[in-house]
This record gives sequence, C-alpha cells and structure tokens, in this order.
Amino acid sequence: MTVTIQVPPPLRSRCGGASELSLSAPSVRAALEQLERNHPALYSGICDETGKVRRHVNLFVNKHHVRDREGLDTALAPGDVITILPAVSGG
Amino acid sequence: MPERVILSIGTKKGVFVAEAPKTRRSFALRGPFGAGVGVYATLIDRRGKPRLYASSCNAFFGMKILVSNDLGKSFKETKSAPAFPKDDGRALINIWSLEAGDGKNDLWCGVEPASLFRSRDGGDSWDMVPGISNHEHARKWQPGAGGLCLHTILHYGNRVHLGISTGGHYLSEDGGKTFRASNKGIGAGFTPDPFPEFGQCVHKIAAHPDAPGRLYIQNHGGWGKWDGPGGPRPDIGVLRSDDHGHSWRSIAKGLPSDFGFPMVVHPHDADTIYAAPLEPSTRTCPGGAPAVWRSEDGGGSWRRLASGMPKKESFFTILRDAMDIDELKSPALYFGTTTGQLWIGRDGGEKWDCLFESLPPVHCVKVAVV
Repeated sequence: MTVTIQVPPPLRSRCGGASELSLSAPSVRAALEQLERNHPALYSGICDETGKVRRHVNLFVNKHHVRDREGLDTALAPGDVITILPAVSGG
Repeated sequence: MPERVILSIGTKKGVFVAEAPKTRRSFALRGPFGAGVGVYATLIDRRGKPRLYASSCNAFFGMKILVSNDLGKSFKETKSAPAFPKDDGRALINIWSLEAGDGKNDLWCGVEPASLFRSRDGGDSWDMVPGISNHEHARKWQPGAGGLCLHTILHYGNRVHLGISTGGHYLSEDGGKTFRASNKGIGAGFTPDPFPEFGQCVHKIAAHPDAPGRLYIQNHGGWGKWDGPGGPRPDIGVLRSDDHGHSWRSIAKGLPSDFGFPMVVHPHDADTIYAAPLEPSTRTCPGGAPAVWRSEDGGGSWRRLASGMPKKESFFTILRDAMDIDELKSPALYFGTTTGQLWIGRDGGEKWDCLFESLPPVHCVKVAVV
C-alpha cells in the first residue's frame, strides 16, 4: 500500500531536497525501515542508533500522533500520510 | 599571507569565528554557522592547510560534524558523525571534544555517553574505540550535571589521557588500545570513598607538549566544608601530576575556591597555569567579581588577574572548554562566558578587555595562530 511521508524543511537536505516521499509499507515501523535502507541520512535524523524515535521528533499518521495509536506498530492504509515534525521544545 | 589569530567560538546557537592580525587589537566576527544548534567542541587543525571543525549537536535531529576549509568563512557537514554500533544499546547525546590525532587526517572525538571515536579520514567516517568505550567501568560511570561526557583527549606518543565526567582520568600507554583508571590522589566529594578507583568528576585536564609527564587537573572541588558522611574533603579540586598521570597531588592552596571548570597551560612555560575558580554552590564568579588566577610555579602559589574585568555584579560561568591561550611571544588568554561575553587577557592575562558582549552562551573557545 502506498503512503506518503511528509518531510520537514530541516531534514529535506538528507533526502535530495524532497518534501514528500512515497513508499509502500504496512506499518510506521516498516516505513521507517524502508527509510533506513533508502534514505539513511534522513532516517538518522528521525531515529537514533538504537532505533528509537528521537526525543524531540514527533510522527503523525494523518492527524494522529503515533503515540495515541499503536506507536511504531500503527498500521497504515493506502493513502495515509506520515508527517515528521520537530517538537515544540528548546530554548 | 601574514599570520592571523583565529578564534573558534562554540555557542548554544552555533559556531562563530573571530579573526585578527597578530596585534590582536580588534577581531572581526563571522557566523553563526550551524545556526541555532549547540556547539560544544571545536578544533583548529593546523596540520597542512588549516581546517576548522565543530560539533553540531542538534537536539531534534542528531549530531553532525562541521568542517571549514577556508578559516571559518563557510562550513559544510562531514560525510558522517560518530555513532554507536546498532547493537550497542547506546545512542549519541552530544559531542564534547575534537582533537587532532597523529596522522594528517586522524581525528579523535569524545562524546556523551562517555565514549571515544576515531576518524582516519578527516571526519568522514568514524570507528568507536573499544578500549575505553567498552571498558569494564563504562556502564558504571554516572553523568555529572553536564551529562556523562568524555571531554578531554590528550595524547603524547603512545600515552593517551582521557577526562570523563564522571569517570575520572583514564590512561592508555599503548596508543589507545587499552585504558586503565588512573586516579590515585584525585578525590571525589559525592561518593562514600573520598578517593575511589574511578567515578571522579574531572572537569578538565591540561598539559604542555614539551613536558608530557606533567599534567594538571581541574577537578570537581568545593567539598572543603562538607559535613556529611565522610567529612570534609578540602583542596581536591586542583591537582598536578609529575609522573604521566599515575598519581596526583593538590595544588589548590591559595585559590579562592577549588571549584572551576577550565585549566590552561602557558604555551612557553609548563610551570605557568591558569584556572578560573567559581563558587561551588552557584558555579559563578566568587563574590560576583570575575577573575582568572595564574600560577607561575606549577601551582605552588597563585595570583589573581582581573585588571579590566568587572569588580562586582557579575555572575557568569566559564565552562570547561571555554578558555584558551594563544602561542604568540606575549600570549593572550581568551575566555567565553555563559552570559555570552568573549574576553581577552593580554600579556598573559595582565589586562582584560571584552571583545564581544552579546554572543549566545559560550560553550567552548579555541585559538590558533595560522
């Protein structure tokens, strides 16, 4: 099933400048695994070496934060949009 | 091209570069590069054509190493940054030190959680150094207030000295293959044993390249009035070794406080050292009056250097890597503050001026004549 990954501006240089990527994956975890294979620099900006999503990065499937669904095991449906956003944090 | 003095200034909001002719009358500032991202380590690499390196510690998207081949007019990312092996279980939190290695393109990098990485291609690829990163003590070290950082890397031939907070001083005598804790005489105030084998909160280690057996440590002092378990532990904060770091003794007598972060050695005299004592409880200038203290006899006695600095109402902190000294005939000291000031101490610290008043909070300062 094809889903869309929306890439925030600070990470676009890590995937050739693309603002969106299309891929086929049954879950958020599987989508991230594809990113790790095909866009490792982008993946390293989303997840740390242990595979955990970075503390200040949020992942949404459509309008829902994955933590409010099934985390990285959230299932994806055709046409879903995964949005990567930096958290509102810092100083 | 005439020689110039280059300062690399790592701040909470990117790296700045300041440049001056050898007179050092005024510095031109450029930057920030890596804007908005904290820089805790820089390196001015003078092997061959000068290169500037800076860590770029993005709290959102992870760590990068920046490199400049034009003396800080522009920076680009190296091809990769240090990263733990995938099955290690640790993830990089920060990059605390960058040092030139032996070969033309060798680099050492100390990180948080405390581990050491090495690059042999100018920072484009990195390998973890297992002798310290997987040391039997590594999973027992605890983070200090700044994090569990490997902040100091000194190497002389086959000897490599590492400073870890809180881990202490680790010494390799086989070029970095194996390390052992070497903390005899280095105290700790926060453990039941005042002199543990390891776990000390070493803040900075400094040495002179022409006297590698001599080392100085600014340790986590401030325990002279401790009345808890174990009793007071005075003068454990400023130390000296004369045997390549195998043993240490206090040289804190004469300082207003044995707490501080940086330690700097004069470029032409291994007996002349500089410390920046702070109030232990607040980690700010004692009495609100900043000063750098100099010893010209290897820590036997100390003199306060504050001409030109505020006499009151100053409560900044000078962090562990935020003080350095140039190597000109009459060297100048430089320090950056957590309040964003960059000071120069001309004539070896005799006369101080504020070069820049409103930078972001300064994490680290390096200087070189190129």
